[in-house]
Amino acid sequence: MILNKRIRQFFFPRLTPKFLIRVLLVALCAYLFFGYICIPLRIKGYSMEPTYHNGSYNFLWKLHYIISEPKRQDVVAVRFAGNRVMLLKRVVALENETVEFRIGKLFVDGKEMEESYVRYPCNWNLPPRQVEKDCVYVVGDNRNMPIENHHFGQASMKRIVGVPLW
Amino acid sequence: MKIKYWIIAILAVGIGVWAAVYLFPSEERKVKKQFHLLSECVSKDSGENTFTMANKTLNLRSLFAEKFELKAEIESMSGSYSPEEISSYVTHGRSMFSYLSLSFYDLGISFPERGLAKVTLTARLKGRSTTGENFDETHELECILKKIEKKWLFSHAEIVEVLKK
Repeated sequence: MILNKRIRQFFFPRLTPKFLIRVLLVALCAYLFFGYICIPLRIKGYSMEPTYHNGSYNFLWKLHYIISEPKRQDVVAVRFAGNRVMLLKRVVALENETVEFRIGKLFVDGKEMEESYVRYPCNWNLPPRQVEKDCVYVVGDNRNMPIENHHFGQASMKRIVGVPLW
Repeated sequence: MKIKYWIIAILAVGIGVWAAVYLFPSEERKVKKQFHLLSECVSKDSGENTFTMANKTLNLRSLFAEKFELKAEIESMSGSYSPEEISSYVTHGRSMFSYLSLSFYDLGISFPERGLAKVTLTARLKGRSTTGENFDETHELECILKKIEKKWLFSHAEIVEVLKK
């Protein structure tokens, strides 16, 4: 009998002022948390395969770079005009470093990089270029496409908005 | 009883605010509406009839100023266009697609001077060509709209380079 009453109270609580304030506070916290700090996102496209699959879901953790800077091999979200559409890419080079692709192999400052996350064959060639100040060089993990069809390059640090939660 | 009155009062205020916003749109809303119309004019459903196509072409012309300037990464695309030229290019482009969708996100609107609106936004163009190939492009744009005869018209657009190869 008591259990029934408790269940009923849980699902159909009385609309007391205290309860309404609690609901408003929870709604406000959820809005702020999921709207500005941990944004739900849906991955569309194949540029980060096989690390992130087309159609999968994740969260964007925006506090990650509050006290630190993006590091090499970090997967980051690069924003366009806002947070509604973003690019998910991997940082391959940092400011002042030189990036180059030779027959699909990535070279940073002339040294070949070990990239275990790249699983598909790649034959890209890109002449060396230096990453400008306050920028990072980002590329997708799926390089099994002509270089012209892959969206990659140097992004300003201001555009790095966070990292996927997993 | 008191709570009931509070809920009714909140609802009444909400409806009042919504009605005021809807009936007396701000300049910002008017600018946003132009983007909504542009999106409608460019987008195409599979099986679109000739009447709808002609109507969209006419509406598209009325959205642009006499001289519209486009600045793009691809040099051949950059230049100055008249509303008729834009409408003809868009019509030609649309004919190559069986389905086309233009969406705008994250519109940041500012009014640097009277009669001038600067808008930063993300534009996404998605489609399927008549040969069955899928197309999906996203770009950041900076647009300038001018208020001419009480209408906000597109006068300048620039494609912002987010990733520099």
